[in-house]
Amino acid sequence: MRKVLFYVPLVLFLGLSLFLLSGLFSDPRERDAVMVGKPLPAFSLPDLMNPAQTWTPDALKGQAFLLNVWGVWCPTCNAELGYMTQLRNEQGVRIIGLYYVLPEDPMFGQVFNLPVLQAEVATKLQQFGDPYQFNILDQQRRLSLDLGVSGAPEHFIVDAEGIVRAHHIGDINPQVWRTKLAAVYQQFAGGPQP
Amino acid sequence: MIPELGQLALTFALAFSIILGIVPLLGSFTANERALLVAKPLASAMFVFTLIAFCALSWAFYHDDFTVLNVANNSSSLLPWYFKLTAVWGSHEGSMLMWVMILALWTAAVGFYSKGLPLLMQGRILGVMGLINIGFIAFSLFMSNPFERTLPFFPVEGSDLNPLLQDYGMIIHPPLLYMGYVGFAVSFAFAIAALIGGKFDSTWARWARPWTLAAWLFLTLGIMLGSWWAYKELGWGGWWFWDPVENASFMPWLVGTALIHSLAVTEKRGTFKSWTVLLALGAFSLSLLGAFLVRSGVLVSVHSFAADPERGVFLLIFLLIVIGGSLLLYASRMHSVRSQARYEIFSREVMLWGNNVFLLTATLVVLLGTLFPLVHKELGLGSISIGEPFFNQMFYYLNIPFALLLGLGPWVRWKQQKAAPLLKPMALVAVFSLVVALGTMAATQSITANLALLGLLLGAWVGVSALMEVYQRLQQFGSLSQGVAKLQASHYGMTIAHIGFAVMIVGIAMTLTYSEERDVRMEIGDRVVLAGYEFELQDVYKLNGPNYGGEAAELDVRRIDGTYVTHLHAEKREYTIQRMMMTEAAIHARLSRDLYVSLGEALPGNAWAIRVYVKPFVRWIWLGGLLMSLGALIALLDKRYRRKSPNAEAAHA
Repeated sequence: MRKVLFYVPLVLFLGLSLFLLSGLFSDPRERDAVMVGKPLPAFSLPDLMNPAQTWTPDALKGQAFLLNVWGVWCPTCNAELGYMTQLRNEQGVRIIGLYYVLPEDPMFGQVFNLPVLQAEVATKLQQFGDPYQFNILDQQRRLSLDLGVSGAPEHFIVDAEGIVRAHHIGDINPQVWRTKLAAVYQQFAGGPQP
Repeated sequence: MIPELGQLALTFALAFSIILGIVPLLGSFTANERALLVAKPLASAMFVFTLIAFCALSWAFYHDDFTVLNVANNSSSLLPWYFKLTAVWGSHEGSMLMWVMILALWTAAVGFYSKGLPLLMQGRILGVMGLINIGFIAFSLFMSNPFERTLPFFPVEGSDLNPLLQDYGMIIHPPLLYMGYVGFAVSFAFAIAALIGGKFDSTWARWARPWTLAAWLFLTLGIMLGSWWAYKELGWGGWWFWDPVENASFMPWLVGTALIHSLAVTEKRGTFKSWTVLLALGAFSLSLLGAFLVRSGVLVSVHSFAADPERGVFLLIFLLIVIGGSLLLYASRMHSVRSQARYEIFSREVMLWGNNVFLLTATLVVLLGTLFPLVHKELGLGSISIGEPFFNQMFYYLNIPFALLLGLGPWVRWKQQKAAPLLKPMALVAVFSLVVALGTMAATQSITANLALLGLLLGAWVGVSALMEVYQRLQQFGSLSQGVAKLQASHYGMTIAHIGFAVMIVGIAMTLTYSEERDVRMEIGDRVVLAGYEFELQDVYKLNGPNYGGEAAELDVRRIDGTYVTHLHAEKREYTIQRMMMTEAAIHARLSRDLYVSLGEALPGNAWAIRVYVKPFVRWIWLGGLLMSLGALIALLDKRYRRKSPNAEAAHA
């Protein structure tokens, strides 16, 4: 018994090195999979351009879509607008924007101003392309928080039942779409759209 | 040409390390004296050649030789000369070369200062050091060669040193830290040599003690300097972040601290043998684990070098050989070792056992907190992060019994201590510390029951106890003046280090409780009041540094009653080549508080975002660390460690 005790440090160390080995081959920053397989969290948020319209998870159901978390303040998000517009036009991908409002700092004189924001968004979409069916305004960032968004841009593929099927952190470019997202989207959208 | 010479020198060093790792160790089994005698010159030669390699790389940095990839990536001709030299260890490759050089330096130092050691022991220790050297020199040479060329198409300008590293702290923080990390290799080699020989008498512990103390001294200084640097450089007044890389340095420190105490028991009483050996293996193993975590990219940290799985695999295999091999040797040898000495439940032995229990629990907390996210994710349970609240809470709970024990420990005798004689002095200590704590509180703040009061009480308990204990001890020599001369240096060292710990607890508790901060928008002429100080923004103007631009702010600080305190100069630098923003906080430091201002973004309307902090007692944190190091230094000077051991020549396997 006493003899076995002296092997404990060795066994613990060997166990630890197994984790270290597998850790070597995975990205510590990756945290995609948390939402996958779960329904969209409950929300009731206004439309960015038409605040009178309110969106809820039920209102989005019926057809699979790509949910894009973005903001005009995010250069990468602006850069991918062009390719997403192409996806919409050529493959008929339904893309819904979740507009992420940066926290404003009243101490520095920043206040939320919807008309100014709408104008900024319209300018950007005109400049880079408009892939969106519509944009949901997440002013308090609650939905983004519930979705586990860590920054913009991020993308979710949501099926017709409102279940999240894929989560991608970072921009969408032809390679990412082809290797990571296209198959999932087509599976749940029922094949390539005409 | 010079970089090639450096590479050649490193290759020679590898050859020397291989011979050093084989010949003396083999000679120790065949009792071949000539094979044992080559260990010392080989160690020196290995050091000289790693030093040549290090100088060659420094030369390339100094002369802006951008045909060397490492120089092109981490330096620029605009850097001042001292930062060019600092940039040598600003990258993974360069810092690895420094690690190698320091490891060889320790090896050579062991050879140089081992006259008191039996030849057999000396050969084994240097042989083990040689084996460790093989791994690191090979890693540097084959996996992360610092001398790699960019030829034929070399850039005309380098991409500059990361601005975060362009600081005086960078000149000395990594060398000190590495001296500490790598220094534990010596304790490790002593332990392995003892395991091979199967002899664990008190001489082994006495030999290992000064080396462990020296490594611990450097590591303490390195960590303290890192903390102070982060405080002044990152611009938001934090001094410890529980970042994985900080934790990687903190774990060997905790185990090293436990080792210093455990070695004392093994030396004085001949017990705790298997425990001490395990700690000696553990301190260096955790240094290696730290190196792996920093350099393999398995964890997210501000310190990480560029991740490369191949390097990670190499290091992991090296870890498996060194740590796994040593633990296997430990398990196969140690189970038959028995300690004879007896001691009662209330004795110095048990006190130091308690010290080890708390320090190891703390190590475990840090280890779990650092690695749990990794384990959690690899088990497929998703990503989590463990942050400050977890560590702070755990250390809060651990610190209370630890500090109470620390105040009592030095009073307790070896073997057996009767409780009655200690009641009076401990009651006195308790009363004095209550007075000191409440007095300090009344003088600086109002008395409230909070973390600061707890910190002051614990700090005073430890500090007052240490002072009274040494006073009592001095009186035992007859007269005080006789005692001052006769008391051992290591006892003074212990007392000072313990007072350092007390000072640090006070600093941490006061800073955590009473720091105040404000983010404000200021125009020139605006004033802001914080914790009794009024900061007035006088001017903001453009900066023109050698390799950076930016803005500088000038502020005057007055007390509320209008007395002038100081002038502060804060900068926001934009480094031109790397396009990175850096804050250079303005700090006015006093023993009782720091005033800390950092300049933020320019705001519309000729205004600036300015962050102002008042941090009471924050200096005490680093002062405590310095005192701990000073204590280690004084203990190192103890005459006992330089006496030749009487049985040095007669030792056998």
